[in-house]
Amino acid sequence: MNYPNIKSGTRRSRSATFTLRLTSMIDMMTILLVFLLKSYDAEGQIVTITDDLRLPESTSQLLPRVTSVISITSNWILIDGRPVETLQTIKADEQLLIPSLRQELSNLRQITEGIGEMSESMDGFQGNISIQSDRDITFDLLKRILITCADVGYNNMLLTVMQKE
Amino acid sequence: MNLKQTVNRKLKGHADQTELNLTAVMNVFLILIPFLLLTAVFVKITVLELSLPRISKDTSRTVMEKPASIILNILLIKETGFQLKSPDLTFAPIDTGQTDYKWDELAKQLDTIKKTHPESNEIIISPENTIKYDTIIGVMDRCREAGLPNISISG
Repeated sequence: MNYPNIKSGTRRSRSATFTLRLTSMIDMMTILLVFLLKSYDAEGQIVTITDDLRLPESTSQLLPRVTSVISITSNWILIDGRPVETLQTIKADEQLLIPSLRQELSNLRQITEGIGEMSESMDGFQGNISIQSDRDITFDLLKRILITCADVGYNNMLLTVMQKE
Repeated sequence: MNLKQTVNRKLKGHADQTELNLTAVMNVFLILIPFLLLTAVFVKITVLELSLPRISKDTSRTVMEKPASIILNILLIKETGFQLKSPDLTFAPIDTGQTDYKWDELAKQLDTIKKTHPESNEIIISPENTIKYDTIIGVMDRCREAGLPNISISG
């Protein structure tokens, strides 16, 4: 009979329409896709974190605003990324106000006020400042920085933290 | 040979092995996943607001507002533990545990304050000089969660 002929024919056609079994791979991809969509953020980051800075964790939900940034790393104080003073010099000084930081901040305030006068659409001086501080900084240093900020007129401090899950 | 029978058998065998053609879906996934990986945010940054009373007179107009009643809640943070002070209430100091502060007990005491004075929103945190920033943020979190959102820091 023709039976063997048919058999060999089906074998040939099977090898021609060979398909990959992708179902398990699709499963995996779907899980990945859902996870990545969950952590997708269309807003983007308006805050850049200085290197060698370990921010503390908090349950706060407030979103950051665009302000000037004071960063306190384990060695330096920076304003908007410009180094101002080493912590060593500050710790050696006894007085509460930090003169170099005060000078930089009042310059910054003058610039902001100048911009505010020049253009109506700009907000000018609001007294907002973000403080990014390393989690191991002690309160005596933080206190002196807060007092210096308040002395210049930056009264609304935004303490930058990492959100806890 | 019965042709009808052979064709039927062939069709039947084919129907058993029907498979979806998923190649197009795979293509979409392969483009979507690298794109989402690039834009994924794993660390979310938030802020804690802290306002100090205005020192210099020229900054803005000062709003004079007299609260109906002042409930002064004070929380001391020491190396050895917490100490809460509130009118009409006395709290035992919370000593530091083996490794960390006893956050649960602090939360309980803060809840007691909120229950006794539901209208109070203010708390003054007074840390010692050697207290770490991380601890201060932790205390501010607990106070906010307990319903005392107006936090002041006193040195």
